[in-house]
Amino acid sequence: MRTLSVLLLLLPGTALAQAGAAAGGGAGSGRIAFEQFTLPNGLRVIYSEDRSTPIVTVNLWYEVGSRNERAGRSGFAHLFEHMMFQGSAHVNKAEHNQLLERAGADFNGSTAEDRTNYYETVPSNRLNLALWLEADRMRSLAITEENFENQRQAVKEERRLRVDNQPYQGAFTDGLTWPFDSTSCFPYAHTVIGSMADLDAAKLPDVQAFFDTYYAPNNATLVVVGDFNPAELRGLVNQYFAGIPSHAAPEAPRCDATGGAGRAAQRREVRDPKANLDAVLRIYRVPEHRNPDTGALELLDLILGQGESSRLNVSVVRRDKAAVATGSLLNPFGSRNGPGVWVTYGIVNQGVSADRMDSLIAAQLDTIRTNGVTAPELEKAKNLLRSGFIANRETTMGKAEELHHYLTFHDSIDEINTDLERVLAVTSEDLKRVATRYLDPNNLTVVIVRAGPATTSGGSQ
Amino acid sequence: MRAARALTALVLAAGALTAQEPFPTRPPSAAPLRPVQFPPFRDVALPNGMTLLLVENHEQPTLSVSLSFRAGNAFDPAGKEGVAALVAELVTKGTPTRTAEQIAAAIEGVGGGIAASTGDDFLTVSADVLGEYAELAFTLLADVTRRPTFPAEELELARQRFLSSLEVELSQPNSVAGRAFQKEIYGTHPYGRNTSVAAYRAITRDDVLAFAARRIRPTGALLVVAGDITLARARQLATAAFGEWRGAAPAPLAAQPAPTKRATDILLVHRPGSVQSNIVIGNTTFLPTDTGYYAARIAAHVLGGGADSRLFLILREQKGWTYGSFAALRRTRGLGYWEATFEGRTEVTDSALVELLHQIDRVRTEVIPDSELTAARGFLIGSFPLTIETPRQIASVVTNARLLGLGPTYIQRYRERLAAVTGPRARAGAQRTFHRTALTIVVVGDAKTLYDKLKPIAAVRLVDIEGNAMNPGDLNPTGGPVAFDATQVVARSDSFQALVQGNVLGGQATKVALSGDSIIYTENTAIAGFQQRSTVVLNRDLTMRRTEQTGTVQNQQTSIQLAYSGGRVKGTAMSPSPTGTPRSVAVDTTVPTGTIDDNALTLLLTALPLEQGKTFHLNVFSSGDGLTRVVSVKVGGVEQVVVPAGTIPAYRLELAGMQLPLVVHVSRDKPRRIVRIAPTGAPLVFELVK
Repeated sequence: MRTLSVLLLLLPGTALAQAGAAAGGGAGSGRIAFEQFTLPNGLRVIYSEDRSTPIVTVNLWYEVGSRNERAGRSGFAHLFEHMMFQGSAHVNKAEHNQLLERAGADFNGSTAEDRTNYYETVPSNRLNLALWLEADRMRSLAITEENFENQRQAVKEERRLRVDNQPYQGAFTDGLTWPFDSTSCFPYAHTVIGSMADLDAAKLPDVQAFFDTYYAPNNATLVVVGDFNPAELRGLVNQYFAGIPSHAAPEAPRCDATGGAGRAAQRREVRDPKANLDAVLRIYRVPEHRNPDTGALELLDLILGQGESSRLNVSVVRRDKAAVATGSLLNPFGSRNGPGVWVTYGIVNQGVSADRMDSLIAAQLDTIRTNGVTAPELEKAKNLLRSGFIANRETTMGKAEELHHYLTFHDSIDEINTDLERVLAVTSEDLKRVATRYLDPNNLTVVIVRAGPATTSGGSQ
Repeated sequence: MRAARALTALVLAAGALTAQEPFPTRPPSAAPLRPVQFPPFRDVALPNGMTLLLVENHEQPTLSVSLSFRAGNAFDPAGKEGVAALVAELVTKGTPTRTAEQIAAAIEGVGGGIAASTGDDFLTVSADVLGEYAELAFTLLADVTRRPTFPAEELELARQRFLSSLEVELSQPNSVAGRAFQKEIYGTHPYGRNTSVAAYRAITRDDVLAFAARRIRPTGALLVVAGDITLARARQLATAAFGEWRGAAPAPLAAQPAPTKRATDILLVHRPGSVQSNIVIGNTTFLPTDTGYYAARIAAHVLGGGADSRLFLILREQKGWTYGSFAALRRTRGLGYWEATFEGRTEVTDSALVELLHQIDRVRTEVIPDSELTAARGFLIGSFPLTIETPRQIASVVTNARLLGLGPTYIQRYRERLAAVTGPRARAGAQRTFHRTALTIVVVGDAKTLYDKLKPIAAVRLVDIEGNAMNPGDLNPTGGPVAFDATQVVARSDSFQALVQGNVLGGQATKVALSGDSIIYTENTAIAGFQQRSTVVLNRDLTMRRTEQTGTVQNQQTSIQLAYSGGRVKGTAMSPSPTGTPRSVAVDTTVPTGTIDDNALTLLLTALPLEQGKTFHLNVFSSGDGLTRVVSVKVGGVEQVVVPAGTIPAYRLELAGMQLPLVVHVSRDKPRRIVRIAPTGAPLVFELVK
């Protein structure tokens, strides 16, 4: 499906954020053994040995994301993430990248709504380098006007690259925020990438303030997975991180929205001069990730949107020939400790109207709300979930993200080894119930993307 | 248990603190790494001519099985680009014993997947399953590769989706740049041919069947199995699935030359409204077995391999022009290529291109410092352990080496050959590989701004998104007076119906009256809540004298009074505003000779000296906002237009430069009249009634 794979490019870029991990836990494979300890300064450390390849992943999550931004500073958490690569007390600008590239590392960071991660996968003899770099930039950042201006420009280009110069991405990025109201839930009512105006408005003192508030050992978790000696790891962690002072715990962001209830339905039309074909996004609000309904929602998502045998593909794409592609996403930028979003989307086939395609998509969602799913579908979804779960835990990076995910978004990190079993126990009644509750027209923001040039008001027409 | 663990942790933490070393002020040095070998794999020739490659690994209970054939896009018949991709799309859509739905249900039902895709050289079908379903994977793979039925209705569905998908591709700047670049560097060579609407429409089911029959054959095909399976079991399943399959190797690709480029030039693809430009620079290089690969690889890495390479450091980290700029060598089974890429805002495109060329010059002419060589080796060799973490990664390395024909020692000797590249050799590699005086440069962006700025850098050829040559003069057209044919303007009354989404919701009446030295043109329009009456008075030579317009738009009263004389227009314009209170603008401004009031535009279209292929650039004064715009009128052919007044042969006029593009039909027969007006992208049409 070479030419159809271009449609996968329409999904949000992963360098901005990692997609949320599949539900975890479970008998047999996929089990992750780990140890943890906490330094006196509050840094939580979790580690899991995996000697199968001589590599190790160091993965640090800070409990800060776009949801912590204030009005007028959307996009700041991501801009700040860029600043973390610009050097620290003992590392010059460009030296961070140099040291890691030279070591053969795969490294990056990403910002999502609820968290920012920084990771390096290195050959196992470079664990010390990865830890040292993370420690130096946790304790001290080299913030200069020049670096800041430079990264502001880079981030604006990133926005242009991912959003403004692309078809569909503007509607998608903004659409995720429309189910939320700025006054009652600003955290999720603005975009992770931020507006150009807010990116322009950011000031250098904001960077230091953000660092002081959020970049502290007591607001971070360090996960190490791979080929290392635990005693050596503990020694290095203590040597590098224990002396970093903690800061006051930051205030939690406020979001007074409850998932799955309340907000009236919205329908928005967006003109997209860069698009050639119309598209539709159906965005529903869902509860926070740790809500017991999440497992059922994940299974529902698979039944509706995953694979050739998915409901949407079989009906809207193949039988009705109304869409060139359809899909379904749950929290595209990552899990949340707050209300999230479910997105079902389609791009029309040539000659098909967006309204017609939308009504066909809606019919599929309604069918499940009325009739639920079949037993073979449920079994398929559970098998797909299980395969995905195993795939997520195959690599050291995958395991590290899973450990972070369970710590951050579940009631207990121990659920990492029990979650799969729990989701596999979900029944078809559960699926029907969550579909009825959340895929409700009253909980829906529909975005119709109209391809082609915009009309302007005024004048004689 | 938990309490004991916490206590241990506390003790460990406390214990470590009392004997702590200070925080190092320099990066810690590397401990020695034990030598890492490429993991073992098995390589078995099967009796039917297929090769089985096995990477056995039981860490995860997963298995991937893929089968690659010499059946990539390069083998598409000329004029039918897309056959290979359609074959790939369709193999999983039906066999004599399984429908598309049954295939999907069988494998997805157990949490797996099956898919096929094509690249330039190869068509690959792969199945991924949990290890316990190995037999299912082999069975389905065999069924879809040996016995695909290519149902006609599946072909039509796929064709429809491919056509739609092409439209999406053409709206994405990186796809547009990639297509243009491949076509430029390869020309008519099979690697350079792009898909198109015409080609997709031309493909028949016979084409698909013939392609599959000729090229989906066991001899020479590569079966790669990675994951939770033993060699014995893999052989057994492969034999059961494919053992009896026979078929000679498909014909290789006939050697074809790529175009010889004489000089560096720029292909500028106009993508209106772009806020960034996509730049791709490069040229074809050599065959995959060329021993110069290693030196070229090092040079490409120094230039743009990663976040500490020159392009990234300079174009992003110093200048802030881009989110990332990189360079890479690309290999195919035949002639490969290299490319440097950049995406950045329109305003810096010219400077970035100059800098990119400068960096290409540098790596070709300057000695590469040891520090950068060390860095390149550090990454290319040091990252090796990261590339062998999963069975699929390992399989991918082996597959790549095998499919590209890189020879049995390639994998084992890859790192040492890279390490042996010296500075002078890397420079020589750069000189040989980067054809500085014959580079292909593709820029996709807003040519209205870019065309003039890029011209000083190299010769520019301007095309549209589909690759059709564009006239640079059409980018920023300047309007000028046009020799109208005043004899076309005769006294008459016409009426039009206005359809909104196919329903008649109103109409328009126009009247031309001739009186003394004046032409009086009135237009009365009423559509739902919109009403407007305009009167334009022109001199007999069709120059403007005055305009009056009144109307109701969105419950707001509007009015316009303008007088034209001596190269100036004066008056007031009150137009609707989103606030609900009409906005009043005082107008007093110069206008170029021959400027037309926009209320007279439709009248004057009838007086144009119409001829197919001509383009007129008219200065049009927009009475509602007091600005002069250039409206381009492109004259197409004569079409039979069906309107309530009859079937009327009329010239198709495409108007650009106003709020919305317009398609206006003007009767061929004289005296000319407006037959139909249709704004593009709005569900509104005016049709002549009488």
